[in-house]
Amino acid sequence: MAQITLIEAVTQALAYEMAHDDSVVVLGEDVGVNGGVFRATQGLQEKFGELRVIDTPLDETTIAGLTVGLAVQGMKPVAEAQFEGFIYPMMEQIACHAARLRHRTRGRMTVPAVWRAPWGGGIRAPEHHSEANEHLFTNIPGLRVVLPSSPARAYGLLLAAIRDPDPVMFFEPKRIYRQYKEEVPDDGEALPLDVCFVLRDGTDVTLVTWGAQVKEALEAADALAEEGISAEVIDVATLTPLDFDTIAESVTKTGRCVIVHEAPRTAGFGAEIAARLMEECFYDLLAPVQRVTGYDTHIPLFRLEMKYLPSVERIVDAAKRTLAVS
Amino acid sequence: MVELYKLMVSTRVFDAKSVALQRTGKLGTYASCLGHEAAHVGIGSAMKREDSLAVSYREYGAQLYRGVQPREVYMYWGGDERGNDFAKAPKHDFAWCVPIGTQCLHAAGSALAFKIRGEKRVAVCTIGDGGSSKGDFYGAINVAGAQNLPFVAVIVNNQWAISVPRKIQSGAETLAQKAIAAGLPTIQVDGNDIIAVRKAMEDAMDRARNGEGASVIEAVTYRLGDHTTADDARRYRGEDEVKEAWTKDPVPRLRKWLEAKGAWDEAKEKAWLAECDDWMDKEVDAYLQTKTQPVEAMFDYLYAELPADLVAQRQQAIDLDRKSHG
Amino acid sequence: MADIKTFYLPDLGEGLPDATVVEWHVKEGDTVKLDAPLVSMETAKAVVDVPSPFSGKVTKLHGAAGDIIETGAALADVEIDPNAKQRADAEATGHHHGPKKSVGSPAPDNASKVVASDDGGEIESNGKPEREDEGTVVGAMVSGNAVHTEQVSSAGGVKAVPAVRALAKKLKIDLSRVRPTGAEGVVTMKDVKDAAANGSAALGAAPARSAAARHLAPELPEPTAAPQRSAVSLAGKPVRTGPPSQAVMGQPEQLKGVRRNMARVMADAHAQVVPTTIVDDADLHAWIGKQDITARLVRAIVTACKAVPALNAWFDGKNLTRTLHPQVDIGIAVDTDDGLFVPALRNADMLDAAGVRGAIKRLRTQVEDRTIPASELSGYTISLSNFGMFAGRYASPVVVPPTVAIVGAGKLSHDVVAVMGGIEVHRRMPLSLTFDHRAATGGEAARFLKAMMDDLAAPH
Repeated sequence: MAQITLIEAVTQALAYEMAHDDSVVVLGEDVGVNGGVFRATQGLQEKFGELRVIDTPLDETTIAGLTVGLAVQGMKPVAEAQFEGFIYPMMEQIACHAARLRHRTRGRMTVPAVWRAPWGGGIRAPEHHSEANEHLFTNIPGLRVVLPSSPARAYGLLLAAIRDPDPVMFFEPKRIYRQYKEEVPDDGEALPLDVCFVLRDGTDVTLVTWGAQVKEALEAADALAEEGISAEVIDVATLTPLDFDTIAESVTKTGRCVIVHEAPRTAGFGAEIAARLMEECFYDLLAPVQRVTGYDTHIPLFRLEMKYLPSVERIVDAAKRTLAVS
Repeated sequence: MVELYKLMVSTRVFDAKSVALQRTGKLGTYASCLGHEAAHVGIGSAMKREDSLAVSYREYGAQLYRGVQPREVYMYWGGDERGNDFAKAPKHDFAWCVPIGTQCLHAAGSALAFKIRGEKRVAVCTIGDGGSSKGDFYGAINVAGAQNLPFVAVIVNNQWAISVPRKIQSGAETLAQKAIAAGLPTIQVDGNDIIAVRKAMEDAMDRARNGEGASVIEAVTYRLGDHTTADDARRYRGEDEVKEAWTKDPVPRLRKWLEAKGAWDEAKEKAWLAECDDWMDKEVDAYLQTKTQPVEAMFDYLYAELPADLVAQRQQAIDLDRKSHG
Repeated sequence: MADIKTFYLPDLGEGLPDATVVEWHVKEGDTVKLDAPLVSMETAKAVVDVPSPFSGKVTKLHGAAGDIIETGAALADVEIDPNAKQRADAEATGHHHGPKKSVGSPAPDNASKVVASDDGGEIESNGKPEREDEGTVVGAMVSGNAVHTEQVSSAGGVKAVPAVRALAKKLKIDLSRVRPTGAEGVVTMKDVKDAAANGSAALGAAPARSAAARHLAPELPEPTAAPQRSAVSLAGKPVRTGPPSQAVMGQPEQLKGVRRNMARVMADAHAQVVPTTIVDDADLHAWIGKQDITARLVRAIVTACKAVPALNAWFDGKNLTRTLHPQVDIGIAVDTDDGLFVPALRNADMLDAAGVRGAIKRLRTQVEDRTIPASELSGYTISLSNFGMFAGRYASPVVVPPTVAIVGAGKLSHDVVAVMGGIEVHRRMPLSLTFDHRAATGGEAARFLKAMMDDLAAPH
């Protein structure tokens, strides 16, 4: 059985779906012959040909616009932005069209497309290759924003994203692309979108996070357990539409919440979750909600990078702060 | 030819009626196509039903030919999304596109879909002289050339991009020659000569349909009206220039030609105008009698299935509406 | 002593694990200058000429032509020439992509399936160790071969991996009612999907969190007893399968709302207050006519507060401050099925008997309806617990900070009392006063109690 890394799980999912659905095509820069700069699309052009794995000219706007056109005409395009730092030129096509076409044509035109991008920091990359900008998309109605945090979830959620009839932003945390392997059977089983995954049960504090920080959150939970503090860890996975119920159920139980994300603090997606907790779970909270996030500055070049990203220590401290208040 | 002339006339009748509706407070901002009838009808009438058209927001002549109804135009500019849900026009034609130039990539994406599926269909986009400065246009013709797509871009050069005249829009001597940079065959035609437009279109469509790739056409015309009903062109262009342009009006030009051939006369003109008036009355009535959508229409068609998290908001909107309106 | 420095093979491309020696440009014993060609190395992508980072004498070459050297491993040793130009030592940027190291934590060891972690080995494919092409990745990515398996958890007494729980949530399936077919009673994805398909385990109505309508599955009648009674918790204790949101007998029930609040408040009070209790009896023998006992009690408290303001106060133990109050707001303990409520009877000192009766009635109704605003459940200056309505004579009720006193009224009784000249039967009310000895003295408490007793003894 396949023991694969997260990036290999992406390839596996793409290969599966392309083999079973002719309308799925992959497009982007260097995705064909080169198999993608992270090898996400390795071997696909060989298997499925140039018409289904397309090396586009170097223009993100072109890639995004082609994706809209392809999707409207009944294909299921999976576009790649080479790095999320390069996704900005795509935003017009995504926000003005992909997210709106179904709505503005009363369902006549729909956009079953996926935009994939390697996301987030921590690989000592050059400038602009470490962005975490998921919150720029979570405020756009009509989009889904999904971040896998393990090989199995990458496989299952990408399948779900491709099969979903609406546009999905699929941000892959590159820091954990190859961090570890997992048994991921190539059975075409999709995982559900729009739900959180409770990765670890606990009773004292809820750690809510997504993407690469799931790793740190789980490590923080281990560290807390050694001190007798039982932490529940939730991987949000689909940021929007948000499965707030799962988070609320957990926080109602524990009374304490720490939200972790590497994107900058102000108006990061953690703010949305914190606001919802206040609106709907206020009387169950035993302490103010904590956010452990990137600072409100640009992610530094790599020498200081690891001092910027939320660390296990910061998460543990935040959890303890919630416990220090009665 | 008579049919084409009749359509040009009906387009003009429609346009005049539209402006009148706006000026009497029955329509929101409207972009007039006065003077563009030959170009627009020429484009639309050269296409087959299975082809796909991606317009900006002015090319009614082409759209009316393909089955878009005036009431749909009015619903759109009148603030109702249902206008984009074409009842009779092909479902694979795009809706009006406000973000300039983005429609060119939609056409390129459509063409790519046709190519991948081996269909003998062509994707056509229209764009203005101003729009041809935008990245999406360059990206579209570039990828159309790189991928040999069944794609035709028609630059309807009406000399004005709101208040910016053609000569400071681009340093290129013609807009058609931008296609050379993309490696595409290109031609500049008199956009007020419907025969020239048709010929150029038919050549381009044939090439595309036969797998010979993409083309660009520049149809030179003049924007006799304002940019939209919210604009006053007298602020930035002289009366003399406009007067001069009226002498090249395509509608009487074609009429003269048809009358010389004995194919048209005053009686036919009167009869046709009367028919057009009837038709417009029906359309305007249908539009004015359309009730505003219920408030929940805001939420419907956002996704294929409204996510659980949004159901509460939808209900809130309904409840609030019920409260204020009983 | 000669200074010998080792040149470690740097990452020659972005993320390359190793390189092969093609040709040395020096021999051991040769002198080499800074930046002069040292060796040609072949990587997965190209042949690269590597210059010497030092000036000096080559003392050792750590491989021959054809050998593979791992990135980060020693390549050559050079004895530094102290008179020659050397490159400054820079801070290590840490920018190597080292050889494969397992950095993932190994799969957790518990009763669920664990796949042995594969530390530091090469990837095998077709039996041949393969050099891993990590792609033209920018930067340096940590890569590992450790294998993780997602833990099965037993939340709510049901064993399932997180993905299965998530699917159940999405399909609105009550996991506790799904028949598990996995090993050791684990619920699988297929089990959940089957349940969704045959509608056998739909989730009942969840408690509404907000007033807005929510997308709920249709309500179902009480679930039938789960067939699998042998479900065992992680700690090995038998746990009856019931979802956490349902109140189940014989199983820990998470306290919510009022009871939860009471637990916290009482524990908090206990931790801070120094309680002292003084008890006595009020003699009601002189009362004329039928009177409202609670109203008389309230009046007695007000009178006593005026006489001894020290007990109508707030005390801040942290800052050691005391706030005496001009008004008397009495927190009246009201018992309900859900737990203890203490609504505030505001401005008791300004109400007459009818006013007190009306206010108390209103408070009781609001508590019963649960329409009482949260603001009226706090901020009182002294408390009253009229437990005597049921049973009990004396008590030491809990003083809740920041107040400093609570009056306990016991059950009225007809007692035999000795009077001058004989024995009489008098109607009496047992009174208890518990006070926070940080804030008030025994003398103040005693005088307070006396004032209450005197007021209660009055005919009306």
